[in-house]
Amino acid sequence: AVLCISGGLPKPTNITFLSINMRNILQWSPPEGLQGTEVTYTVQYFIYGQKKWLNKSECRNISRTCCDLSVETSDYEHQYYAKVKAIWETNCSKWAETGRFYPFLETQIGPPGIALTTDERSISIVLTAPEKWKRNPEDSSLSMQQIYSNLKYNVSVYNTQSNRTWSQYVTNHTLVLSWLEPDTLYCVHVESFVPGPPRLARPSEKLCVRTLKDQTSAVKV
Amino acid sequence: GLRRCLISMDIHHIEETFQEIKKTIQAKDTFQNVTILSTPETLHSIKPLDVCCMTKNLLAFYVDKVFKDHQELNPQILRKISSIANSFLYMKKALQRCQEQRQCHCRDEATNATRIIHDNYDQLEVRSAAIKSLGELDVFLAWIDKNHQGPSA
Amino acid sequence: DGVAILPAPQNLSVHSTNMKHLLMWSPVVVPGEIIHYFVEYQGEYESLYMSHIWIPSSWGSPTEDPECDITDDITATVPYNLRVRASLGSQTSAWSTLQHPFNRNTTILTPPVMEVTKDGFHLVIKLEDLGPQFEFLVAYWRREPGAKEHVKVVRSRGIPVHLETMEPGVPYCVRVRTLVKAIGRHSPFSQAECVKVQGETLPL
Repeated sequence: AVLCISGGLPKPTNITFLSINMRNILQWSPPEGLQGTEVTYTVQYFIYGQKKWLNKSECRNISRTCCDLSVETSDYEHQYYAKVKAIWETNCSKWAETGRFYPFLETQIGPPGIALTTDERSISIVLTAPEKWKRNPEDSSLSMQQIYSNLKYNVSVYNTQSNRTWSQYVTNHTLVLSWLEPDTLYCVHVESFVPGPPRLARPSEKLCVRTLKDQTSAVKV
Repeated sequence: GLRRCLISMDIHHIEETFQEIKKTIQAKDTFQNVTILSTPETLHSIKPLDVCCMTKNLLAFYVDKVFKDHQELNPQILRKISSIANSFLYMKKALQRCQEQRQCHCRDEATNATRIIHDNYDQLEVRSAAIKSLGELDVFLAWIDKNHQGPSA
Repeated sequence: DGVAILPAPQNLSVHSTNMKHLLMWSPVVVPGEIIHYFVEYQGEYESLYMSHIWIPSSWGSPTEDPECDITDDITATVPYNLRVRASLGSQTSAWSTLQHPFNRNTTILTPPVMEVTKDGFHLVIKLEDLGPQFEFLVAYWRREPGAKEHVKVVRSRGIPVHLETMEPGVPYCVRVRTLVKAIGRHSPFSQAECVKVQGETLPL
């Protein structure tokens, strides 16, 4: 490693982990006053309870302000620290360090996949559980439900005609809304929810679908 | 047995309470290379049969040792620690009653794991050990929550 | 040195409903003066293990009213000691301590305010937000002979919740009670409210 004068630069700021479905990205902001200059950064990480800081070779002397540490922090039941320093010419900053990062409690649970199909008076909603981040696309998938057995979905349904919204928590992956109004636009969004300490949530996109026109005339009894 | 023994308990409220002071408490723990609860031979190796006893032992560890050894001056943090300490006292007494009714059986596995935790604690200076144990409350609470729900992944 | 000239507050009592706890006492009156009160609490843990420790209340240290909302202080289901003293300038009274420790498991639980509505054929309920410790046990049934009662546990926090898809022409009734896991208790059931989807039109 090239020697530099430590403390010659201010530290990077706002260093945090952004974690969604166990994809753990370290991100930070450039040191005060050095935005736009050709500063580079070097990252190290630490497994709580282990002995020493470890290098992340792909994040040595990088110019971007983020570093994917998903592989290094993939054991979600451990806790971690990470730190980054700024380097510019012969000067470098002291390390800026994260707090203790605990993926199991802090990762955001992404929304499920949603598929809507409709007929005149019903909408069927099929949910696909969010997947844990995986290193390679061909690796076998692990659903977040397998990590959080109490994962539920908060399904919100908005009737654009009556301007009414109602919601319901479901645990299984199919839900049929029946006896709806024909030829009416309904909008649905779904949020994954794990009971426990407060956790940032990522609601799904809002999906809207119109029930079909009533093909038959109503039968009077 | 944990579910049956800890019926009226709101673990999520305790987790929320700890979450409010976690960053402050953990920042005071400067020994990142040492852990008290998270060694492989302790919490992560406990079998379902030993969960109830281990929970009772660790509640006693916190109530009888950690909270007493930690001296907190900040009133905001003191309130949160008091809330957790009193909740743990309530849970500890509930599990003690359960043990008396033979529904919270203790085997050597739980006793050995508990002793390792006490040994880890005693190897540190008492204030450092207390602040580190407080900082690891999220691990203990997540473990209780997971085991209180019943069998999972 | 100005200590204990003021009389200590008297008649301390706690009024607790739906996990909202209010400590009250008789005011100390000094004509023309504003009295401040300081409230402190001690959970069973402190009284057993650290009896010298008293913790200033979140909202009642100081307060000018002869009452203090101690809801954020009483956060475990154990007995809590509570004490109050009065203060006027440099003068402070002796502490006055609640005669019997207060445990939140004695709170009075009342049925929640509920709004039963329908959106087309859908039975929807909206419940008041009583706070994070509350769940609601919602019972609903078709008002007809031999009807079975369905039960759903809801943590709605003030958002309309879908209960059932209704068949037209049949009244559906709903009643609710609160559940508080932290103290292992529930309220009585509310009065039942019924709604019906009009019309005999049966879509094919």
